[in-house]
Amino acid sequence: MIRRTLAAVLVAVAVLLQTVVVNRLPMPWGVGPDLALLTVVAVAMRTTAVTGAVAGFLGGLAIDILPPADHELGRYALVLCLAGYLAGALRDPISRAGGLWPFGVAALATAGVSLGFAGVGVVLGDPRVTLGGVLGVLPPTLLLTMVVSPFVLYPVFWMLRRTERDDFRAVGATPWANGGIVR
Amino acid sequence: MFRDTSRSRLVLGVLLALSLTLLVLDERDDANPVSGTARAVGAAVFEPISAAVTLASRPISDGYRALAAAPGAQRRIAELEARNAELTRELESVDADAARSRELADLLHLAGLGRYEVVAAHAVTRMTAQGFSDTATLDVGRRDGVTADMTVVNGDGLVGRVVRTTERTSTVLLVTDGASSVGARLEGSKEIGVISGGTHGIADTAPLRLELLDGTATVRKGERVVTLGSHGGAPYVPGVPIGTVRHVEDTPGALTRTARVAPAVDLSRLDVVGVVVAPPETDPRDSVLPPKPDPRAQAEQRHNGRPDRGRKTAPKHDGAEDPADPRHPDGAVARGKASTSAGQVAPARPAEPAPRAPGGGGGPPSGGQSRPPAPADPPAAEPAAPADTGGVAGPAGAEPGDLANPPRRPPRPPERG
Repeated sequence: MIRRTLAAVLVAVAVLLQTVVVNRLPMPWGVGPDLALLTVVAVAMRTTAVTGAVAGFLGGLAIDILPPADHELGRYALVLCLAGYLAGALRDPISRAGGLWPFGVAALATAGVSLGFAGVGVVLGDPRVTLGGVLGVLPPTLLLTMVVSPFVLYPVFWMLRRTERDDFRAVGATPWANGGIVR
Repeated sequence: MFRDTSRSRLVLGVLLALSLTLLVLDERDDANPVSGTARAVGAAVFEPISAAVTLASRPISDGYRALAAAPGAQRRIAELEARNAELTRELESVDADAARSRELADLLHLAGLGRYEVVAAHAVTRMTAQGFSDTATLDVGRRDGVTADMTVVNGDGLVGRVVRTTERTSTVLLVTDGASSVGARLEGSKEIGVISGGTHGIADTAPLRLELLDGTATVRKGERVVTLGSHGGAPYVPGVPIGTVRHVEDTPGALTRTARVAPAVDLSRLDVVGVVVAPPETDPRDSVLPPKPDPRAQAEQRHNGRPDRGRKTAPKHDGAEDPADPRHPDGAVARGKASTSAGQVAPARPAEPAPRAPGGGGGPPSGGQSRPPAPADPPAAEPAAPADTGGVAGPAGAEPGDLANPPRRPPRPPERG
Protein backbone atom coordinates (compact mmCIF):
# COMPACT_ATOMS: atom_id res chain seq x y z
CA MET A 1 0.00 0.00 0.00
CA ILE A 2 2.75 2.34 0.96
CA ARG A 3 4.49 1.67 -2.35
CA ARG A 4 1.37 2.48 -4.28
CA THR A 5 0.97 5.71 -2.38
CA LEU A 6 4.60 6.56 -3.03
CA ALA A 7 4.17 5.65 -6.69
CA ALA A 8 1.14 7.91 -6.92
CA VAL A 9 3.02 10.76 -5.30
CA LEU A 10 5.99 10.24 -7.61
CA VAL A 11 3.84 10.22 -10.70
CA ALA A 12 1.93 13.28 -9.54
CA VAL A 13 5.14 15.16 -8.89
CA ALA A 14 6.52 14.10 -12.25
CA VAL A 15 3.38 15.19 -14.06
CA LEU A 16 3.42 18.55 -12.35
CA LEU A 17 7.12 19.03 -13.08
CA GLN A 18 6.49 18.05 -16.66
CA THR A 19 3.62 20.42 -17.25
CA VAL A 20 4.67 23.32 -15.09
CA VAL A 21 8.44 23.40 -15.43
CA VAL A 22 9.69 21.33 -18.35
CA ASN A 23 7.01 22.45 -20.78
CA ARG A 24 7.89 26.08 -20.23
CA LEU A 25 11.60 25.65 -20.81
CA PRO A 26 12.65 27.16 -24.12
CA MET A 27 13.91 23.92 -25.59
CA PRO A 28 15.83 24.02 -28.86
CA TRP A 29 13.61 21.73 -30.97
CA GLY A 30 10.32 22.48 -29.34
CA VAL A 31 10.27 19.21 -27.45
CA GLY A 32 11.41 18.29 -23.98
CA PRO A 33 12.30 15.27 -21.91
CA ASP A 34 9.27 13.23 -20.89
CA LEU A 35 9.55 13.07 -17.11
CA ALA A 36 6.10 11.56 -16.64
CA LEU A 37 6.90 8.70 -18.96
CA LEU A 38 10.21 8.04 -17.22
CA THR A 39 8.59 8.05 -13.82
CA VAL A 40 5.79 5.72 -14.91
CA VAL A 41 8.28 3.32 -16.46
CA ALA A 42 10.54 3.46 -13.41
CA VAL A 43 7.63 2.84 -11.05
CA ALA A 44 6.41 0.01 -13.23
CA MET A 45 9.81 -1.62 -13.37
CA ARG A 46 9.97 -1.78 -9.58
CA THR A 47 6.32 -2.67 -8.93
CA THR A 48 3.72 -4.74 -10.68
CA ALA A 49 2.12 -4.47 -14.06
CA VAL A 50 -1.14 -3.40 -12.50
CA THR A 51 0.53 -0.56 -10.60
CA GLY A 52 2.36 0.44 -13.75
CA ALA A 53 -0.81 0.41 -15.78
CA VAL A 54 -2.76 2.43 -13.23
CA ALA A 55 0.12 4.88 -12.76
CA GLY A 56 0.43 5.28 -16.54
CA PHE A 57 -3.28 5.74 -16.96
CA LEU A 58 -3.60 8.34 -14.23
CA GLY A 59 -0.42 10.18 -15.17
CA GLY A 60 -1.36 10.22 -18.82
CA LEU A 61 -4.85 11.36 -18.01
CA ALA A 62 -3.45 14.18 -15.88
CA ILE A 63 -1.27 15.27 -18.77
CA ASP A 64 -4.27 15.03 -21.07
CA ILE A 65 -6.20 17.31 -18.79
CA LEU A 66 -3.61 19.88 -17.77
CA PRO A 67 -3.74 22.98 -19.91
CA PRO A 68 -0.80 22.83 -22.29
CA ALA A 69 -2.38 19.71 -23.79
CA ASP A 70 -4.32 20.16 -26.96
CA HIS A 71 -5.21 16.60 -27.76
CA GLU A 72 -8.14 14.37 -27.02
CA LEU A 73 -8.69 13.25 -23.46
CA GLY A 74 -7.37 9.74 -22.92
CA ARG A 75 -4.94 9.69 -25.81
CA TYR A 76 -1.82 9.93 -23.72
CA ALA A 77 -3.46 7.94 -20.93
CA LEU A 78 -4.01 5.04 -23.32
CA VAL A 79 -0.41 4.99 -24.49
CA LEU A 80 1.14 5.50 -21.08
CA CYS A 81 -1.11 2.89 -19.56
CA LEU A 82 0.15 0.35 -22.07
CA ALA A 83 3.76 1.42 -21.50
CA GLY A 84 3.40 1.10 -17.74
CA TYR A 85 1.75 -2.28 -18.04
CA LEU A 86 4.44 -3.67 -20.32
CA ALA A 87 7.28 -2.28 -18.22
CA GLY A 88 5.70 -3.75 -15.11
CA ALA A 89 5.18 -7.08 -16.79
CA LEU A 90 8.85 -7.14 -17.72
CA ARG A 91 9.86 -6.45 -14.13
CA ASP A 92 11.54 -9.73 -13.32
CA PRO A 93 13.87 -10.08 -16.30
CA ILE A 94 14.85 -6.43 -15.95
CA SER A 95 15.67 -6.64 -12.29
CA ARG A 96 17.55 -9.83 -12.94
CA ALA A 97 19.55 -8.39 -15.82
CA GLY A 98 20.35 -5.22 -13.90
CA GLY A 99 22.98 -2.85 -15.24
CA LEU A 100 21.87 -0.64 -18.05
CA TRP A 101 18.77 -2.63 -18.97
CA PRO A 102 16.37 -0.16 -17.33
CA PHE A 103 17.69 2.49 -19.72
CA GLY A 104 17.06 0.27 -22.67
CA VAL A 105 13.52 -0.27 -21.50
CA ALA A 106 13.08 3.46 -20.91
CA ALA A 107 14.38 4.21 -24.41
CA LEU A 108 12.06 1.62 -25.92
CA ALA A 109 9.17 3.00 -23.91
CA THR A 110 9.95 6.54 -25.03
CA ALA A 111 10.08 5.59 -28.67
CA GLY A 112 7.04 3.39 -28.31
CA VAL A 113 4.99 6.03 -26.54
CA SER A 114 5.95 8.64 -29.08
CA LEU A 115 5.02 6.40 -31.98
CA GLY A 116 1.90 5.15 -30.19
CA PHE A 117 0.75 8.66 -29.51
CA ALA A 118 1.29 9.56 -33.15
CA GLY A 119 -0.45 6.33 -34.17
CA VAL A 120 -3.54 7.16 -32.14
CA GLY A 121 -3.44 10.59 -33.74
CA VAL A 122 -3.37 8.98 -37.18
CA VAL A 123 -6.31 6.79 -36.26
CA LEU A 124 -8.22 9.80 -35.00
CA GLY A 125 -7.32 11.84 -38.07
CA ASP A 126 -5.19 14.40 -36.29
CA PRO A 127 -3.93 16.64 -39.12
CA ARG A 128 -0.82 17.56 -37.15
CA VAL A 129 0.56 14.03 -37.24
CA THR A 130 2.65 13.57 -40.34
CA LEU A 131 5.60 11.37 -41.11
CA GLY A 132 7.91 14.37 -41.22
CA GLY A 133 6.54 15.60 -37.93
CA VAL A 134 7.07 12.26 -36.24
CA LEU A 135 10.59 11.95 -37.60
CA GLY A 136 11.34 15.45 -36.45
CA VAL A 137 9.96 14.96 -32.96
CA LEU A 138 11.03 11.44 -32.11
CA PRO A 139 14.86 11.76 -32.15
CA PRO A 140 15.14 14.87 -29.99
CA THR A 141 12.54 13.55 -27.58
CA LEU A 142 14.41 10.28 -27.28
CA LEU A 143 17.74 12.05 -26.85
CA LEU A 144 16.53 14.49 -24.20
CA THR A 145 14.58 11.86 -22.34
CA MET A 146 17.57 9.54 -22.23
CA VAL A 147 19.80 12.39 -21.09
CA VAL A 148 17.62 13.06 -18.05
CA SER A 149 16.66 9.44 -17.48
CA PRO A 150 19.41 8.69 -14.89
CA PHE A 151 18.19 11.57 -12.79
CA VAL A 152 14.68 10.16 -12.81
CA LEU A 153 15.19 6.40 -12.83
CA TYR A 154 17.77 6.15 -10.06
CA PRO A 155 15.94 8.34 -7.52
CA VAL A 156 12.69 6.52 -8.21
CA PHE A 157 14.39 3.13 -7.90
CA TRP A 158 16.09 4.24 -4.73
CA MET A 159 12.88 5.49 -3.12
CA LEU A 160 10.97 2.39 -4.08
CA ARG A 161 13.76 0.18 -2.76
CA ARG A 162 13.52 1.97 0.55
CA THR A 163 9.89 0.90 0.84
CA GLU A 164 10.86 -2.57 -0.32
CA ARG A 165 13.45 -2.76 2.42
CA ASP A 166 10.89 -1.62 4.90
CA ASP A 167 8.81 -4.58 3.90
CA PHE A 168 11.58 -7.08 4.40
CA ARG A 169 13.86 -5.30 6.82
CA ALA A 170 13.08 -7.62 9.71
CA VAL A 171 13.92 -10.57 7.50
CA GLY A 172 16.93 -9.05 5.74
CA ALA A 173 18.54 -7.91 8.97
CA THR A 174 18.59 -11.34 10.59
CA PRO A 175 21.82 -13.29 10.25
CA TRP A 176 20.02 -16.41 9.18
CA ALA A 177 18.18 -14.87 6.36
CA ASN A 178 20.95 -15.61 3.94
CA GLY A 179 21.71 -18.98 5.39
CA GLY A 180 24.30 -17.76 7.83
CA ILE A 181 26.81 -17.10 5.10
CA VAL A 182 28.76 -13.95 5.81
CA ARG A 183 29.53 -12.09 2.62
CA MET B 1 9.30 -14.09 -17.91
CA PHE B 2 6.35 -12.01 -18.91
CA ARG B 3 4.69 -11.76 -15.56
CA ASP B 4 1.08 -11.06 -16.07
CA THR B 5 -1.91 -12.54 -14.46
CA SER B 6 -5.53 -12.60 -15.38
CA ARG B 7 -6.09 -9.88 -12.82
CA SER B 8 -3.56 -7.60 -14.29
CA ARG B 9 -4.90 -8.19 -17.75
CA LEU B 10 -8.33 -7.33 -16.53
CA VAL B 11 -7.07 -4.12 -15.00
CA LEU B 12 -5.25 -3.28 -18.20
CA GLY B 13 -8.30 -4.01 -20.25
CA VAL B 14 -10.47 -1.80 -18.06
CA LEU B 15 -8.00 1.03 -18.20
CA LEU B 16 -7.60 0.79 -21.95
CA ALA B 17 -11.32 0.71 -22.39
CA LEU B 18 -11.62 3.74 -20.20
CA SER B 19 -9.01 5.55 -22.22
CA LEU B 20 -10.67 4.69 -25.46
CA THR B 21 -14.02 5.76 -24.11
CA LEU B 22 -12.61 9.09 -23.10
CA LEU B 23 -10.86 9.36 -26.43
CA VAL B 24 -13.96 8.70 -28.40
CA LEU B 25 -16.05 10.93 -26.18
CA ASP B 26 -13.65 13.79 -26.55
CA GLU B 27 -13.12 13.19 -30.23
CA ARG B 28 -16.74 13.91 -30.92
CA ASP B 29 -17.44 17.48 -31.65
CA ASP B 30 -20.37 18.01 -29.34
CA ALA B 31 -19.48 19.28 -25.91
CA ASN B 32 -19.73 16.51 -23.35
CA PRO B 33 -19.74 17.03 -19.62
CA VAL B 34 -16.92 14.56 -18.91
CA SER B 35 -14.11 16.16 -20.84
CA GLY B 36 -15.34 19.67 -20.12
CA THR B 37 -15.39 19.07 -16.39
CA ALA B 38 -12.06 17.29 -16.51
CA ARG B 39 -10.41 20.13 -18.35
CA ALA B 40 -11.94 22.69 -16.02
CA VAL B 41 -10.58 20.81 -13.02
CA GLY B 42 -7.19 20.51 -14.71
CA ALA B 43 -7.08 24.20 -15.41
CA ALA B 44 -8.13 25.00 -11.85
CA VAL B 45 -5.30 22.85 -10.53
CA PHE B 46 -2.78 24.01 -13.04
CA GLU B 47 -3.21 27.74 -12.89
CA PRO B 48 -2.15 28.52 -9.32
CA ILE B 49 0.77 26.14 -9.50
CA SER B 50 1.85 27.56 -12.81
CA ALA B 51 1.57 31.10 -11.53
CA ALA B 52 3.65 30.24 -8.48
CA VAL B 53 6.29 28.59 -10.62
CA THR B 54 6.30 31.56 -12.93
CA LEU B 55 6.86 33.87 -10.01
CA ALA B 56 9.58 31.71 -8.52
CA SER B 57 11.37 30.99 -11.75
CA ARG B 58 11.39 34.41 -13.29
CA PRO B 59 15.04 35.14 -12.43
CA ILE B 60 16.02 31.69 -13.61
CA SER B 61 14.12 31.93 -16.85
CA ASP B 62 15.43 35.42 -17.47
CA GLY B 63 18.95 34.19 -16.93
CA TYR B 64 18.32 31.23 -19.18
CA ARG B 65 16.97 33.49 -21.87
CA ALA B 66 19.97 35.78 -21.58
CA LEU B 67 22.30 32.80 -21.83
CA ALA B 68 20.43 31.38 -24.79
CA ALA B 69 20.63 34.74 -26.52
CA ALA B 70 24.28 35.27 -25.60
CA PRO B 71 25.89 34.10 -28.87
CA GLY B 72 23.81 36.46 -30.96
CA ALA B 73 23.87 39.24 -28.40
CA GLN B 74 27.34 40.52 -29.21
CA ARG B 75 26.55 40.68 -32.88
CA ARG B 76 23.23 42.32 -32.11
CA ILE B 77 24.87 44.88 -29.85
CA ALA B 78 27.44 45.71 -32.49
CA GLU B 79 24.70 45.96 -35.08
CA LEU B 80 22.64 48.29 -32.93
CA GLU B 81 25.61 50.42 -32.06
CA ALA B 82 26.49 50.82 -35.71
CA ARG B 83 22.90 51.70 -36.49
CA ASN B 84 22.79 54.12 -33.62
CA ALA B 85 25.93 55.87 -34.79
CA GLU B 86 24.56 56.04 -38.29
CA LEU B 87 21.30 57.56 -37.14
CA THR B 88 23.08 60.06 -34.91
CA ARG B 89 25.21 61.07 -37.84
CA GLU B 90 22.17 61.44 -40.04
CA LEU B 91 20.46 63.53 -37.43
CA GLU B 92 23.44 65.80 -37.09
CA SER B 93 23.70 66.20 -40.82
CA VAL B 94 20.01 66.99 -40.95
CA ASP B 95 20.57 69.72 -38.39
CA ALA B 96 23.51 71.04 -40.36
CA ASP B 97 21.49 70.88 -43.57
CA ALA B 98 18.64 72.77 -41.98
CA ALA B 99 20.98 75.47 -40.71
CA ARG B 100 22.66 75.72 -44.10
CA SER B 101 19.32 75.88 -45.84
CA ARG B 102 18.27 78.68 -43.54
CA GLU B 103 21.45 80.59 -44.27
CA LEU B 104 21.02 80.09 -47.99
CA ALA B 105 17.47 81.33 -47.75
CA ASP B 106 18.66 84.41 -45.91
CA LEU B 107 21.33 84.96 -48.48
CA LEU B 108 18.84 84.57 -51.28
CA HIS B 109 16.52 87.00 -49.55
CA LEU B 110 19.25 89.59 -49.18
CA ALA B 111 20.44 89.09 -52.70
CA GLY B 112 16.90 89.42 -53.92
CA LEU B 113 16.30 92.59 -51.96
CA GLY B 114 19.48 94.15 -53.24
CA ARG B 115 19.27 92.59 -56.70
CA TYR B 116 22.76 91.29 -56.35
CA GLU B 117 23.79 88.32 -58.36
CA VAL B 118 25.53 86.00 -55.98
CA VAL B 119 27.43 82.78 -56.13
CA ALA B 120 26.73 80.77 -53.03
CA ALA B 121 29.83 79.55 -51.28
CA HIS B 122 30.80 77.78 -48.16
CA ALA B 123 33.34 79.28 -45.82
CA VAL B 124 35.82 76.46 -45.62
CA THR B 125 38.28 77.79 -43.15
CA ARG B 126 38.58 80.76 -40.99
CA MET B 127 42.28 81.31 -41.14
CA THR B 128 43.74 83.77 -38.77
CA ALA B 129 47.41 83.28 -39.37
CA GLN B 130 49.13 84.29 -36.18
CA GLY B 131 45.88 86.01 -35.37
CA PHE B 132 46.78 89.12 -37.32
CA SER B 133 44.59 88.85 -40.34
CA ASP B 134 40.90 88.18 -40.50
CA THR B 135 40.47 86.12 -43.59
CA ALA B 136 38.37 83.22 -44.61
CA THR B 137 38.62 80.75 -47.43
CA LEU B 138 35.66 79.99 -49.63
CA ASP B 139 35.12 76.91 -51.69
CA VAL B 140 34.50 78.83 -54.89
CA GLY B 141 37.15 80.17 -57.19
CA ARG B 142 37.85 81.35 -60.69
CA ARG B 143 36.07 78.30 -62.00
CA ASP B 144 32.87 79.72 -60.53
CA GLY B 145 33.42 83.17 -61.90
CA VAL B 146 34.82 84.65 -58.75
CA THR B 147 37.62 87.14 -59.18
CA ALA B 148 39.42 89.44 -56.83
CA ASP B 149 37.63 92.52 -55.51
CA MET B 150 34.23 91.03 -55.35
CA THR B 151 31.91 91.69 -52.45
CA VAL B 152 31.13 88.79 -50.14
CA VAL B 153 27.87 88.86 -48.24
CA ASN B 154 25.78 86.46 -46.26
CA GLY B 155 22.18 86.61 -45.17
CA ASP B 156 22.89 89.24 -42.56
CA GLY B 157 25.10 91.61 -44.45
CA LEU B 158 28.61 92.35 -45.52
CA VAL B 159 31.28 89.75 -44.90
CA GLY B 160 34.19 91.21 -46.79
CA ARG B 161 35.76 91.16 -50.18
CA VAL B 162 37.65 88.66 -52.24
CA VAL B 163 41.32 89.45 -52.29
CA ARG B 164 42.75 86.41 -53.97
CA THR B 165 41.36 83.57 -55.99
CA THR B 166 42.63 80.26 -57.15
CA GLU B 167 40.95 77.89 -59.50
CA ARG B 168 38.71 76.45 -56.81
CA THR B 169 39.10 78.60 -53.74
CA SER B 170 39.13 82.22 -52.89
CA THR B 171 40.34 84.21 -49.93
CA VAL B 172 38.09 86.76 -48.33
CA LEU B 173 39.38 89.72 -46.42
CA LEU B 174 36.79 90.07 -43.71
CA VAL B 175 35.38 93.44 -42.91
CA THR B 176 36.94 93.28 -39.46
CA ASP B 177 40.45 92.88 -40.79
CA GLY B 178 42.83 95.67 -39.99
CA ALA B 179 43.57 96.21 -43.65
CA SER B 180 39.94 96.51 -44.64
CA SER B 181 38.19 99.76 -45.18
CA VAL B 182 34.76 100.08 -46.70
CA GLY B 183 32.97 103.11 -47.94
CA ALA B 184 29.85 103.38 -45.81
CA ARG B 185 26.70 105.34 -45.48
CA LEU B 186 24.42 105.73 -42.52
CA GLU B 187 20.96 104.35 -42.88
CA GLY B 188 18.37 106.89 -43.78
CA SER B 189 20.64 109.88 -43.46
CA LYS B 190 23.22 110.08 -46.12
CA GLU B 191 26.22 110.55 -43.95
CA ILE B 192 29.16 109.09 -45.70
CA GLY B 193 32.12 107.58 -44.03
CA VAL B 194 34.58 104.79 -43.96
CA ILE B 195 34.28 101.60 -42.00
CA SER B 196 37.59 100.10 -41.11
CA GLY B 197 38.54 97.09 -39.14
CA GLY B 198 41.41 97.15 -36.83
CA THR B 199 42.62 96.00 -33.51
CA HIS B 200 39.98 94.24 -31.61
CA GLY B 201 39.79 92.67 -28.24
CA ILE B 202 38.70 89.16 -27.65
CA ALA B 203 35.20 90.03 -26.51
CA ASP B 204 34.88 93.18 -28.52
CA THR B 205 31.34 93.35 -29.84
CA ALA B 206 31.98 96.43 -31.93
CA PRO B 207 35.25 95.88 -33.68
CA LEU B 208 34.52 98.15 -36.60
CA ARG B 209 35.35 101.79 -36.65
CA LEU B 210 33.16 104.20 -38.55
CA GLU B 211 34.77 107.43 -39.53
CA LEU B 212 32.30 109.96 -40.82
CA LEU B 213 33.77 112.44 -43.17
CA ASP B 214 31.60 115.18 -41.75
CA GLY B 215 32.95 116.17 -38.38
CA THR B 216 29.69 117.73 -37.33
CA ALA B 217 27.45 114.92 -38.41
CA THR B 218 24.97 113.55 -35.95
CA VAL B 219 25.36 109.90 -35.30
CA ARG B 220 23.25 108.06 -32.84
CA LYS B 221 23.64 104.76 -31.20
CA GLY B 222 21.62 102.11 -32.98
CA GLU B 223 21.91 103.67 -36.38
CA ARG B 224 22.78 101.24 -39.06
CA VAL B 225 25.36 101.40 -41.74
CA VAL B 226 25.25 100.12 -45.30
CA THR B 227 27.94 100.04 -47.93
CA LEU B 228 28.19 103.08 -50.07
CA GLY B 229 29.23 101.20 -53.13
CA SER B 230 32.31 101.53 -55.22
CA HIS B 231 32.79 102.42 -58.81
CA GLY B 232 31.64 99.55 -60.96
CA GLY B 233 30.60 97.60 -57.92
CA ALA B 234 34.14 96.57 -57.04
CA PRO B 235 35.28 95.88 -54.48
CA TYR B 236 32.04 96.74 -52.69
CA VAL B 237 28.55 96.84 -54.10
CA PRO B 238 26.20 99.44 -52.61
CA GLY B 239 23.51 98.86 -50.07
CA VAL B 240 24.84 95.88 -48.15
CA PRO B 241 24.27 96.16 -44.41
CA ILE B 242 27.53 96.44 -42.54
CA GLY B 243 26.54 96.88 -38.95
CA THR B 244 25.01 98.91 -36.19
CA VAL B 245 26.51 101.86 -34.37
CA ARG B 246 27.29 100.82 -30.82
CA HIS B 247 28.67 103.99 -29.46
CA VAL B 248 29.79 107.32 -30.74
CA GLU B 249 33.18 108.55 -29.76
CA ASP B 250 33.38 112.05 -28.51
CA THR B 251 36.14 113.68 -30.47
CA PRO B 252 35.83 117.42 -30.09
CA GLY B 253 37.81 119.38 -32.57
CA ALA B 254 38.49 116.45 -34.84
CA LEU B 255 37.87 116.75 -38.52
CA THR B 256 35.99 113.51 -38.62
CA ARG B 257 33.50 111.87 -36.39
CA THR B 258 34.08 108.32 -35.30
CA ALA B 259 31.86 105.62 -33.95
CA ARG B 260 32.25 101.98 -33.08
CA VAL B 261 30.13 99.66 -35.16
CA ALA B 262 29.14 96.07 -34.47
CA PRO B 263 29.12 94.05 -37.64
CA ALA B 264 25.80 92.77 -38.86
CA VAL B 265 27.36 89.42 -39.64
CA ASP B 266 28.52 87.07 -36.96
CA LEU B 267 31.93 86.59 -38.47
CA SER B 268 32.96 83.94 -36.00
CA ARG B 269 30.21 81.69 -37.23
CA LEU B 270 30.61 82.11 -40.92
CA ASP B 271 29.11 79.33 -42.98
CA VAL B 272 27.14 80.01 -46.13
CA VAL B 273 28.13 83.20 -47.88
CA GLY B 274 27.57 84.64 -51.30
CA VAL B 275 30.03 86.27 -53.61
CA VAL B 276 28.41 89.09 -55.51
CA VAL B 277 29.49 88.45 -59.05
CA ALA B 278 27.30 91.17 -60.51
CA PRO B 279 26.43 94.39 -58.74
CA PRO B 280 22.85 95.63 -58.72
CA GLU B 281 21.82 97.83 -61.52
CA THR B 282 20.72 100.46 -59.08
CA ASP B 283 21.74 101.28 -55.57
CA PRO B 284 19.42 99.33 -53.28
CA ARG B 285 19.96 101.98 -50.58
CA ASP B 286 18.55 100.84 -47.26
CA SER B 287 16.16 98.29 -48.63
CA VAL B 288 18.44 95.43 -47.71
CA LEU B 289 18.51 96.39 -44.05
CA PRO B 290 16.25 94.21 -41.97
CA PRO B 291 13.44 95.93 -40.10
CA LYS B 292 14.52 97.44 -36.83
CA PRO B 293 13.94 95.15 -33.91
CA ASP B 294 12.89 97.99 -31.62
CA PRO B 295 9.07 97.94 -31.38
CA ARG B 296 8.91 101.72 -31.13
CA ALA B 297 11.01 102.08 -34.20
CA GLN B 298 8.96 99.46 -35.96
CA ALA B 299 5.76 101.33 -35.25
CA GLU B 300 7.43 104.42 -36.59
CA GLN B 301 8.48 102.63 -39.71
CA ARG B 302 4.99 101.41 -40.28
CA HIS B 303 3.81 104.94 -39.95
CA ASN B 304 6.39 106.14 -42.41
CA GLY B 305 5.59 103.42 -44.84
CA ARG B 306 8.95 101.82 -44.39
CA PRO B 307 7.85 98.24 -45.05
CA ASP B 308 6.47 99.45 -48.33
CA ARG B 309 9.84 100.70 -49.26
CA GLY B 310 11.29 97.31 -48.64
CA ARG B 311 8.77 95.66 -50.88
CA LYS B 312 8.71 98.12 -53.71
CA THR B 313 12.37 98.05 -54.37
CA ALA B 314 12.18 98.19 -58.09
CA PRO B 315 9.63 100.97 -58.54
CA LYS B 316 11.46 103.04 -56.02
CA HIS B 317 14.69 102.93 -57.93
CA ASP B 318 13.05 103.55 -61.18
CA GLY B 319 11.43 106.53 -59.64
CA ALA B 320 14.70 107.70 -58.24
CA GLU B 321 16.51 107.69 -61.51
CA ASP B 322 14.24 108.23 -64.40
CA PRO B 323 10.90 109.89 -63.78
CA ALA B 324 12.33 112.58 -61.59
CA ASP B 325 14.19 114.08 -64.48
CA PRO B 326 11.42 114.51 -67.01
CA ARG B 327 8.93 115.67 -64.46
CA HIS B 328 11.24 118.09 -62.74
CA PRO B 329 13.91 119.56 -64.89
CA ASP B 330 15.08 121.45 -61.89
CA GLY B 331 15.88 118.22 -60.16
CA ALA B 332 18.03 117.20 -63.06
CA VAL B 333 19.82 120.47 -62.96
CA ALA B 334 20.29 120.25 -59.26
CA ARG B 335 21.66 116.76 -59.44
CA GLY B 336 23.95 117.65 -62.23
CA LYS B 337 25.27 120.46 -60.19
CA ALA B 338 25.64 118.31 -57.16
CA SER B 339 27.70 115.79 -58.98
CA THR B 340 29.83 118.19 -60.89
CA SER B 341 30.51 120.98 -58.51
CA ALA B 342 30.19 120.68 -54.82
CA GLY B 343 30.32 124.35 -54.29
CA GLN B 344 27.11 124.90 -56.15
CA VAL B 345 25.17 122.39 -54.25
CA ALA B 346 24.37 124.68 -51.42
CA PRO B 347 22.54 127.30 -53.42
CA ALA B 348 20.90 124.71 -55.59
CA ARG B 349 19.36 122.71 -52.82
CA PRO B 350 17.20 125.28 -51.14
CA ALA B 351 15.62 125.85 -54.50
CA GLU B 352 14.71 122.26 -54.91
CA PRO B 353 11.90 121.80 -52.43
CA ALA B 354 9.60 124.20 -54.15
CA PRO B 355 9.32 122.48 -57.52
CA ARG B 356 9.73 118.96 -56.20
CA ALA B 357 7.30 119.14 -53.37
CA PRO B 358 4.14 118.55 -55.42
CA GLY B 359 5.63 115.59 -57.22
CA GLY B 360 6.99 114.15 -54.05
CA GLY B 361 8.02 110.91 -55.69
CA GLY B 362 11.57 111.69 -56.61
CA GLY B 363 13.41 110.29 -53.64
CA PRO B 364 13.92 106.80 -52.48
CA PRO B 365 11.79 107.21 -49.37
CA SER B 366 8.71 107.16 -51.50
CA GLY B 367 6.64 106.96 -48.39
CA GLY B 368 7.45 110.64 -48.24
CA GLN B 369 4.07 111.64 -49.56
CA SER B 370 2.83 111.75 -46.05
CA ARG B 371 5.76 113.75 -44.81
CA PRO B 372 6.50 117.42 -45.01
CA PRO B 373 8.21 117.99 -48.31
CA ALA B 374 10.88 120.36 -47.11
CA PRO B 375 12.75 117.99 -44.83
CA ALA B 376 12.13 115.03 -47.01
CA ASP B 377 13.45 116.24 -50.25
CA PRO B 378 17.03 117.19 -49.67
CA PRO B 379 17.83 113.74 -48.39
CA ALA B 380 16.01 112.37 -51.36
CA ALA B 381 18.11 114.26 -53.78
CA GLU B 382 21.39 113.79 -52.11
CA PRO B 383 21.88 110.05 -52.15
CA ALA B 384 20.93 109.97 -55.76
CA ALA B 385 24.08 111.83 -56.54
CA PRO B 386 26.57 109.23 -55.37
CA ALA B 387 24.52 106.50 -56.92
CA ASP B 388 24.50 108.17 -60.25
CA THR B 389 28.05 109.24 -60.30
CA GLY B 390 29.41 105.93 -59.17
CA GLY B 391 30.55 104.54 -55.89
CA VAL B 392 34.11 105.66 -55.47
CA ALA B 393 33.44 109.11 -56.70
CA GLY B 394 30.51 109.35 -54.38
CA PRO B 395 32.11 110.08 -51.07
CA ALA B 396 34.54 112.54 -52.55
CA GLY B 397 31.85 114.38 -54.41
CA ALA B 398 29.29 114.39 -51.69
CA GLU B 399 31.42 115.17 -48.72
CA PRO B 400 31.97 118.83 -49.49
CA GLY B 401 28.31 119.14 -50.12
CA ASP B 402 27.57 117.83 -46.69
CA LEU B 403 30.11 120.06 -45.13
CA ALA B 404 28.86 123.00 -47.01
CA ASN B 405 25.30 122.44 -46.08
CA PRO B 406 25.01 122.38 -42.32
CA PRO B 407 21.58 124.02 -42.20
CA ARG B 408 20.20 120.99 -43.93
CA ARG B 409 20.83 118.89 -40.90
CA PRO B 410 18.33 120.24 -38.38
CA PRO B 411 15.31 119.10 -40.37
CA ARG B 412 16.58 115.56 -40.28
CA PRO B 413 15.48 114.62 -36.79
CA PRO B 414 11.83 115.18 -37.64
CA GLU B 415 12.33 112.95 -40.60
CA ARG B 416 13.55 110.19 -38.38
CA GLY B 417 10.95 110.96 -35.80
